[in-house]
Amino acid sequence: MISEQGRILEQLLSGAFICQVSDEDAWRFLKTSGNADKIEVQLNLLNRTLASAADGDVFYAAYQSLGDNERRVLSSQFQEISGHLVPLVEWLLLVQQASGTDIPITQGSAIRLTELQGTIEDTPAFAEQLAKISHYKLFGSTSVSTDGQIKQVFKRLTDLGYMLRPNQDKQIFIATGKVEYLYEVIKFIDETESLSLAQQAQSAVQQGSLI
Amino acid sequence: MNQNMHQAGVKLLNALSRHADLVMQVYLSGTLDESKFSAKVIDSLIKQGILWRPENDADLRLKNAVRQLLEGSLQDERTRHIDANIGASLASLKTLAQHYKEALQHQRFAESQAHLSDLTEHVYGLTETLSNSVRVLFSRINNEFGYVSSIDAKIRENQLAQSQVSELLDQLEMFKFDELSNIAASHRELRHLLIVTLQHSFSRVTQELSVVQARLLSLLGRFRELRGRTRLLKGFLLHMEQSPDFQPVNYCGLSQVPMLFNQAPGIIAPASPDVKRIEHEAELQKLVSAIRAINRPQKNYQPDRAAHEIVIEEQSAVEFAEDSLKKAVEDYFCRIIDTGERLTALEYYQQQQLEFDPEAWLYQVIGGYQGLTTEEQSYFAIEPSGMPDPVFTGNFVITDVELGLR
Repeated sequence: MISEQGRILEQLLSGAFICQVSDEDAWRFLKTSGNADKIEVQLNLLNRTLASAADGDVFYAAYQSLGDNERRVLSSQFQEISGHLVPLVEWLLLVQQASGTDIPITQGSAIRLTELQGTIEDTPAFAEQLAKISHYKLFGSTSVSTDGQIKQVFKRLTDLGYMLRPNQDKQIFIATGKVEYLYEVIKFIDETESLSLAQQAQSAVQQGSLI
Repeated sequence: MNQNMHQAGVKLLNALSRHADLVMQVYLSGTLDESKFSAKVIDSLIKQGILWRPENDADLRLKNAVRQLLEGSLQDERTRHIDANIGASLASLKTLAQHYKEALQHQRFAESQAHLSDLTEHVYGLTETLSNSVRVLFSRINNEFGYVSSIDAKIRENQLAQSQVSELLDQLEMFKFDELSNIAASHRELRHLLIVTLQHSFSRVTQELSVVQARLLSLLGRFRELRGRTRLLKGFLLHMEQSPDFQPVNYCGLSQVPMLFNQAPGIIAPASPDVKRIEHEAELQKLVSAIRAINRPQKNYQPDRAAHEIVIEEQSAVEFAEDSLKKAVEDYFCRIIDTGERLTALEYYQQQQLEFDPEAWLYQVIGGYQGLTTEEQSYFAIEPSGMPDPVFTGNFVITDVELGLR
């Protein structure tokens, strides 16, 4: 039998994000003091290191030292992530608005697809927004029906690791720690580029011109 | 007097129960829709102090006492009212205790009893108010201020609750147990009420309030974080709208790549089976047995099986060529009839110099006889000649057949 440590090592090396939603056992294992060091030693052999984001909500494997090859890989990865930002953010806001609770999606938020679909179908503005989002290259839907679009969007999100479908028979999706990672990325860009996004949004709300 | 009070109270409660529908409608909607109920009923309810009109042209509302009764009994979560006027209650407690002691000193026992029961009522009332306030706070925390939908409103509600908690805590400081114990002195009942009961409820409430405060603070933090996230997302979209060609600098080109963007891709590929490992034998066997191979040999072109052109033409009439052997047998039978002599089949065969196989001829003769109808058979007599088989018993070898007329 493979040990817990080996299993987690394998997960990390296959590029997985480990969070409380996707793999609670592994996440707890890494959270326990001492365990992370053991994994770290083994990762170091392969020029990897254990990285965590969003206050330790997610763990993943990062390069330990960066050569030209590694930089090339990371650059293309970054291009990809920054290209995904707009569709993902638009989608997050759409779900937040459609659910009507004003609470943004965080790790562990459950989304009932049928409920969401009902709201979106009943509100033409949401349906329009969904159509726009689903036709982004990231989601790549060609469907004209709301049903097809939303299914494709959630399928892609599950493939990308942002969402998890715990029960294949049910249309319930749970947001993983990768969503937290996404927030972290936006926060990082906000801070480094000093965009002061939150202030922009606030002043826009005061002017009453926001979305 | 007592009798009158009793009757008036029963009357009031009866009125409440009789117009329960109306009262609940006012409780739930806040004001009374006067067109739905008769003016007489409304008038009587106003007289009994159940409904009141705050201003001349305002709608009718429930009296606060009735509303509080309902809120308390229904454990209504919408209630946000917290009665923090502990100072006044404490003052009245002290006064009542003084009355009680004075009455006892003057040996007016009946009066002292009345004061004591009044005091008891007040003490229990105070403890109930305190625990009620805490319960209201908890229920608000537990559903995370679910009665308001936007995060901003939740934050405001949270701040209100926090100010209520701190006010309650301020008021609780007015409990001065040394003072109370001085007042109670050595009176057993007073000590029980003023010290044991009040202290008990005091300590429980302060404990719970500190929990409430901590929970409120953490909730506030969470709400602020959620609000921050929403603003972040909206701000990002807004920014992208205003400057669509915004592209963050590729941080991976920096000398120190931020850990956030340092993400190693997966390197593990699935392993291959090792067929020489004995402990895997059972597993592998299972896998092999689960393989569903369908062997379909590649067939080359088969001209025989290829589709042919179907030619439809008239079927030629089939003619049954009379079997010559059968005809010869018929002739043989006719000869017997004609001559009426007995003649063996082989003799006829030689006479006619027939060309069939003699054995087949004999078979055909016997068969011809058997093929006749019973009536026709009865004209002929057939006599096989031969001998038993030398080797196998029970077998008779026919060498010739003699046919004659009966």
